[in-house]
This record gives sequence, structure tokens and C-alpha cells, in this order.
Amino acid sequence: MSEILKMQNLNKRFGRKIVLKNFSMALEEGKVYGLLGKNGEGKTTLIRMIMGVIPADSGEMFYKDKKINFNDSSYKKQIGYIPEDPFFFSWMTIKELLDFNSSFYPSWNFRKAMDYSERFSLDKKTKIKHLSRGMKLKLGLIAALASEPQLLILDDPTSGLDVPTRQDFLKDIVRELSDAGTTILFSTHLVHELERIVEHLSILHGGHLILDDDYERVKDLTRRVRMTFEDSLPEQIEMGGILSELKKGNRMEMVIYPWDVEKERKLNMFSPLRLEVEPLSLEEIFVSFVS
Amino acid sequence: MIKIDLASFLPIYEQIKKEIKRKITLEVLKPHEPLPSIRDLASELIINPNTVARAYRELEREGFIYTRKGKGCYVSDNSASLIKKERDRTLNQILDQVIEEATKFNLREEEIKRLFEQRLRLVMDEKKKGGRDE
Repeated sequence: MSEILKMQNLNKRFGRKIVLKNFSMALEEGKVYGLLGKNGEGKTTLIRMIMGVIPADSGEMFYKDKKINFNDSSYKKQIGYIPEDPFFFSWMTIKELLDFNSSFYPSWNFRKAMDYSERFSLDKKTKIKHLSRGMKLKLGLIAALASEPQLLILDDPTSGLDVPTRQDFLKDIVRELSDAGTTILFSTHLVHELERIVEHLSILHGGHLILDDDYERVKDLTRRVRMTFEDSLPEQIEMGGILSELKKGNRMEMVIYPWDVEKERKLNMFSPLRLEVEPLSLEEIFVSFVS
Repeated sequence: MIKIDLASFLPIYEQIKKEIKRKITLEVLKPHEPLPSIRDLASELIINPNTVARAYRELEREGFIYTRKGKGCYVSDNSASLIKKERDRTLNQILDQVIEEATKFNLREEEIKRLFEQRLRLVMDEKKKGGRDE
């Protein structure tokens, strides 16, 4: 598979705060990437750098093997971008906004814009300043998808929306994936929605990716182990990959990555009364890696 | 309806495979009947269509379904017997292990048979009574 976007050794600091430190990441075409990180870890900064809104201090970016220079806007026509709080000229009507946007994109799909507007029951004569947050998101989705992007970047677009609206949004994304096979970079803190569609998991922490792997693999290699002992806990369990540990009385709980049968065998040598191994949700995996 | 459980050990594509095989065994899906399209199933379950595609691809490779170009996937003629064969293979492997362990204890054939039958009766009786304690 070929790479649609590649970032190499990006550095960025704001004053004395280092946001990205030798950050590298590559996105393969047609996959859904989940970008997770605690607030303030620089997800939005990274995305704004991809979108050419702010420059990197150093490092290189490539769109389809072609080096991107700051101020170069041609590649952006192939990217759909939905920020957390999309900015639209509030005095425009929905129709005016879509017409305005269409002029920037040679690939603009008028039919798609119309179909979506109808499905979302957006009245084209409504002024943008009168739209609710959920309606604005829908408009943002139409604007992003009608440009037939090869890469869709979602920067926490559904935060602050109710569950049914978020569910609808996710359904639209799934439909788009089926029909166009778009590559998606999805940054969100609503992790259990991402869990349904993510193929590749990237966790940003301390200025670089501390995890960047196939999600099935990560899920398969991360386990919570619960052990109960007859009386006291073993003094010390020496084992690589213990992400977190919780002890209470004669019971303990650990999250281990990467997990394998050898580790299970080792733990059994401490002769616990009970040893349970269970998988973690994406949310739990995320929390284990960043805490 | 295909059900998936995000909290399961099994990856989603494995769960889809399992559910479809179960439907074939129960004859909810009969030979030459169409499977839901990748697009429909992905929308219904709200999951990545690539995940559905992977499940279908593997089912096809294993011979349970076949694809008609531009039309979609259908249940193979011999899918039910393939599933039975697969099931027997899994059970046989477990039985082999049991036999292997039993011979390590120097048990004779009759004793293994007796143990198995005794256990079988016990488990089946308890199942009839409704649920077995762990």
C-alpha cells in the first residue's frame, strides 16, 4: 500500500513549551487512523500543521511522496478537514457557503452536496448564524465530503454533541468509507466511537507517538490480568511491559503490553489462587498507555 | 441480525465470520443465498467496511462463500458440510489432547471410555437440569 501522507522529524515549540519532538508518522492509503492523546499533547497543533495553518520549526512533510512546502496549498484541495469548531462566514446561507466552497475544489461533487443536504434536512436558505452546533457539524461534513477528498481529517468534530447526532455522524463516515475508501485521520477524545472504525492506533504523548500500530494487534497484545493470592501478594513481580498496577489486600491487577503466553506462565509460577486474563477496550488501552 | 461485541477477545472480523457460519449451520442462510452487502452490514453495525470485507474475504478463501463479480457474496453449496468438518476437526483436536493425557496416566482404552461416558452423562444431566455450575 502506498503512503498518502508522511511526516518526518517534525519539531514544534511554542515559546518554551515543546509540543512536537522529532515526530514521525506515515498514513497508508485507505486506512482509518485513530489519533489519541491527552488534552494539550499537540493533536490539534499537528493537524493544523498538516493543513498548512501553522509551520513546523523543522522537519518535513510529504503528500503522496511529494514534499509539502509551507504556503503550498495545492495538496490541500485533496484533503477534507473538519475541525472541532468549524469556521463559516456566519452571514452566509447554507447554499452560499456551499457555492463558495465549491469554487475552491476542482473535484467538487454538486450531486453529493445536494444529496447530503437533503438527507440532513438542511434548508439551503438558512443563515449559518442560525444553525445549531449539530447542524454546523453536518454542514462541515457536507463541505468536506463534497470535495471528494482522498484524505479526511477529523479533529474532535463530535465533542459536545448528543449521542444520536454522534451516531449519525459515524454512520455517515462508515458510508463514505464504503463508497469512496477514503483515508481518515480521526482525532477524538470520544474513544468508544473511534473503536468501531479504527484500523491503526497512534497515541501522541510527550511530543511523539508512543504507540503506532495496527489496532487489532494492539488489542490482541494488551491484557488486564487479575490475580488473587492465598494471603499476601508476592514481593515483587519482575516483568517487562507492566503499564499499570493496582494492589488491594490479597488481590492485584495489572495491564500488560505486549502480552504473551510466556508471561502467563511466569505469573502462574507465583501460584495465585486465581488468575484471570481479559482484553481491554480502546478507552482502557488509551488510559493505560498515557497514565 | 449479526451481533458484535467490542469487549470480546475475538476481533470484530472473527465475530462476523462466526456469526455467518452459525447462520449457515442453522440454515438461516441457505446455499446460494446472498450475504448482506459489505456496505449494508458496515452501516448496520456501524463498523469499518474494511473489517466486513476482511471477514468475507476469509470466508471465501475457506470456501464457505463465493463472490459473483459486481453482485456480492453468496453461500457456497457445500458450506454446511465444511462447517461440520471444521467443527469435527476442532473437537478431535481437543479429544486427542484428552487421550494423550490419559495415556500418560497409563489408562487403558476401556477406562478412558468409561471416564468419558461417565462425564458425558453427568454434564448432560446437569445441562438438562438447567445450567451447570462452574
